[in-house]
Amino acid sequence: MSVVSNKPDKSHWYFISILGGLFITAKHLIKNLLNKDKMMTLNYPEQKFEYSPRFKGNHVLTVKKDGAIRCTACMLCATNCPAECIKIIAAEHNDPTVEKFPIAYEIDILRCVFCGFCEEACPVDAIRMGPEWQTPGLSGSAFTYDINHLAYRPQLKGGVVSVVDEVERHKSGI
Amino acid sequence: MPKCTINGVHVEVKDGATIMEAFYKLDQGIAHYCYHPGLSVAGVCRLCIVDIEGNPRPQIACNTVVTEGMKVTNQSEKIKDGVKWVLDFHLINHPLDCPVCDQAGECGLQEQYMEYGKYNSEMAEPKVKKHKVVDLGPTVVLDSERCVLCSRCVRFTDEVSKTNELGLFNRGDKTEIGTFEGQELNNKYSLNTVDICPVGALTSKDFRFRQRVWYLKNSETVCTGCSTGCNVKVYYNKEGTFRVKPVFNEKVNGHWMCDDGRDIYKFVNVEHRQTVAHKITAGQKSEMVPGLAATEAYQVIKNTDDNNLAVVLTGQYTNEEYETALKNFKTKNIFHWKNKDENWKDFDGLLIRGDKNPNSKGLETALSKAGLKSDWKDLESGITSGKFTTVIVAGPENIKAYPCFDDRVKMIAKAENVIWMTACSSESFKAFHNNALIIPMKSYLEKAGTFTNYAGLDQSFKKATTIVSHALTLAEASFLMTGQTLPMPATAAVSKFIDDSRRTDQVMIENRKKNEFVFKRGNL
Repeated sequence: MSVVSNKPDKSHWYFISILGGLFITAKHLIKNLLNKDKMMTLNYPEQKFEYSPRFKGNHVLTVKKDGAIRCTACMLCATNCPAECIKIIAAEHNDPTVEKFPIAYEIDILRCVFCGFCEEACPVDAIRMGPEWQTPGLSGSAFTYDINHLAYRPQLKGGVVSVVDEVERHKSGI
Repeated sequence: MPKCTINGVHVEVKDGATIMEAFYKLDQGIAHYCYHPGLSVAGVCRLCIVDIEGNPRPQIACNTVVTEGMKVTNQSEKIKDGVKWVLDFHLINHPLDCPVCDQAGECGLQEQYMEYGKYNSEMAEPKVKKHKVVDLGPTVVLDSERCVLCSRCVRFTDEVSKTNELGLFNRGDKTEIGTFEGQELNNKYSLNTVDICPVGALTSKDFRFRQRVWYLKNSETVCTGCSTGCNVKVYYNKEGTFRVKPVFNEKVNGHWMCDDGRDIYKFVNVEHRQTVAHKITAGQKSEMVPGLAATEAYQVIKNTDDNNLAVVLTGQYTNEEYETALKNFKTKNIFHWKNKDENWKDFDGLLIRGDKNPNSKGLETALSKAGLKSDWKDLESGITSGKFTTVIVAGPENIKAYPCFDDRVKMIAKAENVIWMTACSSESFKAFHNNALIIPMKSYLEKAGTFTNYAGLDQSFKKATTIVSHALTLAEASFLMTGQTLPMPATAAVSKFIDDSRRTDQVMIENRKKNEFVFKRGNL
């Protein structure tokens, strides 16, 4: 245990440091008043910061060219997920070329650690981490994103098209 | 009895045994697809090539008979390289749809590629397209593109089930497995083809897309589907049980099991189970904890004379439970409820028996040991005449196997007090209108015990998982119903806990102290 000894003769010198702090504050105030464009702070709800497109924000499920969900329900993302926040229920598709597809795909975003491992594990570019990061909600259930929210939420404007296309792959003989 | 040397290890095999059998005997790894110990030799996959000393070219292990003094190896560079390129040929037209393939995780192609392959494909031509998602019958789906044409399934229908539904059609790289015109793969053993398929070409409709195999744990147990008592593995995880696969046992089932036996996972899942005890008094139903219901049953049994008490047992409980139950219930009116008397002794020549209980033999032995003999008709007449006022029933887990279940429930419901122990819930229990207690029981996956099969072979199995945690076993219920407390499992006088959990290479504390000076500063 350490004992802090209070030395009264030295404690008067705090006043100089306060003046120094006030000087820095005043310097920034004048700088910002004179040059508003270079101000470091944002008026948050009105002004929003744009992160780079590589920012790992909320997940996006990509779609095929016809608008159907690209995911094949292989569960590699769910297997790779360190937070175990992905839940998929697979089902048999009527189209034999599709074969397997997810009827439920849920991400518990409050559990998610935004590590991006799901994106890395995905063999068909079906899941990506999008640039969105401001996602408030009123209740806990609002943070469990279902398949429709992940693929077709209004911000995505009809869905993000995946780069992996099964039809083209088959045509090229792979 | 020729002796040979496999990778430098001496082994003696039976006359006429192949090199593959010698590899199996030594438990040494060898790549193969078409060889299966339960089927005839086909020699079509060409993957099991080995070097035999004195032989200039590699030979296939599955179809070469061991001769005296043969020196075999599959560890030479030549063989390793050979296996690698044979595997490349197998994978030329493989669609690589592992993400949607149910076999991924337990696939022969994945395993052997990681062990023997690890090459980059040198095939530049487009892949041959074949039929996908072919409906072969009520249980199996075929994907021809994934098939490596090992012909195990064809040989299975040819030799084991003897139904000859499957065949190989077309030639060369257009070859496909298929059924003959107008025929479908529909026999009692069809799902064995899925088990022996080394790739994902044949998949079970029942299990298809329900779980990835790496999410499943498994536990070996005994099939409760009939009195054959096949050794099986049940695959489960926290979401429930999902499938059953056979385990090799030469004495009982060999490599196979029937399709009906694969349904035994269904009734143990929580949605089919009796999860709480029900107390029914004059049509009013209330719920309670199983242990409390069993003690309530004691109040009823206490007030019943032993002559007016009847106990009905089914062959779906373990030998240990019968022993305890017969010891606890003092009554002489103990009845054996059989699923169907007419085809009790049926046998289809391979595995399936008419007695749909895993432990009828065990129950019969326990009853004869206790000197009890009774006729089912006595129970019927006893209930209608009002002789049996209280009937205790240890009902079947696998209700589906009892076609008479509904009628028998209605018959027994006429008794004044019914105490029905069951693992599975049933609509038939609505028939209870007098006083009744329905007590949830543990299923075979949730308890350890022994089943005696039709031939009198005792097979022990251990507990796999817990599904309904507060359910009782028949032994526990019989203790509570006779006013006793549950016996605590006796602990050994000397605690073996530490010894058991100690690793063989663990450093003991004395040795640690001796070594301590070495790490002191200055000595190093």
